[in-house]
Amino acid sequence: MKAVCWMGKSKVETLTVADPQLLNPHDAIVKITRTAICGSDLHLYDGYIPTMESGDILGHEFMGIVEEVGKDVTNLRRGDRVVVPFTIACGNCLFCKKKIWAACDNSNPNAHLMEAAYGYSGSGLFGYSHMMGGYAGGQAQYVRVPFANVGPLKIESDLPDEKVLFLSDIFPTGYMAAENAQIQAGDTVAVWGCGPVGQFAIASAFMLGAARVIAIDRLPERLDLARAIGAITVDYSDQDVSVLTALRDLTAGIGPDACIEAVGLEAHSAELQGTYDKIKVALLMETDRPSVLRQAIQAVRKGGTLSIPGVYGGLLDKVPFGAAFGKGITMKMGQTNMHNYMKPLLHRIEQGQIDPSYIISHLITLEQAPEMYKVWRDKKESVTKIVIDPWAETAA
Amino acid sequence: MSQVLKEKPHAEEVPITGAAGMILDGRYSPPPEDKDGKLWVRTSTLIQTPPQDLYELWRNVDLAPKWQEQISQVVSTGKDTSHWVKESDGETIEWESEVLADEPGKRIAWRSLGSESDNAGEVIFEDAPGDRGTMVTVLQEFRMGKLASAWETFVGRNPKQAVIENLRHFKALAETGEIPRTEGQPHGDRGVVGKVKAATYGETIPTPSSSK
Repeated sequence: MKAVCWMGKSKVETLTVADPQLLNPHDAIVKITRTAICGSDLHLYDGYIPTMESGDILGHEFMGIVEEVGKDVTNLRRGDRVVVPFTIACGNCLFCKKKIWAACDNSNPNAHLMEAAYGYSGSGLFGYSHMMGGYAGGQAQYVRVPFANVGPLKIESDLPDEKVLFLSDIFPTGYMAAENAQIQAGDTVAVWGCGPVGQFAIASAFMLGAARVIAIDRLPERLDLARAIGAITVDYSDQDVSVLTALRDLTAGIGPDACIEAVGLEAHSAELQGTYDKIKVALLMETDRPSVLRQAIQAVRKGGTLSIPGVYGGLLDKVPFGAAFGKGITMKMGQTNMHNYMKPLLHRIEQGQIDPSYIISHLITLEQAPEMYKVWRDKKESVTKIVIDPWAETAA
Repeated sequence: MSQVLKEKPHAEEVPITGAAGMILDGRYSPPPEDKDGKLWVRTSTLIQTPPQDLYELWRNVDLAPKWQEQISQVVSTGKDTSHWVKESDGETIEWESEVLADEPGKRIAWRSLGSESDNAGEVIFEDAPGDRGTMVTVLQEFRMGKLASAWETFVGRNPKQAVIENLRHFKALAETGEIPRTEGQPHGDRGVVGKVKAATYGETIPTPSSSK
């Protein structure tokens, strides 16, 4: 089959590799009909996530048709149409029983690597480094899905792939970010980063009762989408704009009730601290660039909540913890507990409350993927979301 | 709360803090220290399976190849004795093992008899506080020998990590009926660096298979 492989920092290639096989009794093989490039794949592309190996198949947002099931998979059969969550969960350990699926104890074959780095291991993920399990990803024509009795969501309606594909990661991730923000009816919510996760965080914040959402980014195509779903936008790259002043101005001086940090470790900053972080990272004195995190801690109102769906990988410098303590804020974060959200969010899509396909800007072939990683990383061609048809021979 | 092993599974008398138990008279007791060529590892996990079932899975030594790394065969040779074969990097190591203490649903202690691997161990099964499952604690002791050559410690699984991984496999098998694995999945060319990484990450050690 054809698959998009990570071949080193800033190097992605579409290669012909072996087809996946059933390896365990709860496995399924899925023929992929649509897959996508996630903003977090750019962290891999840029070499920020350790324990990648050359030849790794990328991709953790995908859906398709069940081709084959292992002997202990009783809820799926060949021909079922499924969306697969990017986190892999066994369904039986203490954490799965507590519905903290992203903390599953039994799905990461390389748990010891994550234990060495973080103290404890999270669940396995598709196509996202060997520390996270080393599972082959879904930017390919077929994928092996472990614990297929637990994760995949069956799509029984005739909704097109584009409307349900994002149930595999970014819609639940944006929704959990809004849920983690503990939004009360009438709240003002600020969202940093208007990429796909930020978009769904904005949409979800409104669903959960926010009266006003303030969206912060610098790319016009993203700010346009945010305004289209009702947010007030702040362009931080505008020389006359101070984000902290803007957030005070828009909240009568008290700050947003909740802040959602949907940027993560590769934050860009128009301020001096952006340069400071780049130098420290280059000198290996810091691994992540937390300029947005710092700003969100400063911005959130007293007693407010900071929700962090943005990915962090390591050590952060100069995080204003005194301000966090002084204001008594709550911080919530982590990988998405996918399995809690897929069904209810599918229901919202079926009810017509949201059409997640509004963020798609590009539909491409597997052959075009390597080039499009670069295009998106460099923020060219007004990319808002790239979807791949793994069976198309020529560009759409 | 937890039991304390009074007799040592191996030859000498065990110091009281050397047992698998973590709590003694209400105080936490740390694992024994490595010394005089003897290595200790104590590790624990929480399993959502009743203690009796876990005891039975562990006690059935014939099933060990399904969850213990690089154990190719175990044959029961008597009520409390068995013959073990380990294959590691093309090298075969064999030894006899003897069960020293057997408390159904609670505890098993064992030791090797002479031969190529000098090891002893104990596992205890206890109800976790608050009805959260079963706490399984393993204490294993080795002497450096053929089993734990410096080369194997460097390239393969060092014996301490092997105990930790085996307990992880045991838990996965008990909770889900399988052990998570990736060997045999497709990938592009690993190149030299990718292969070195895979070995460093322990991915060249075969994952035990429940279908064995």
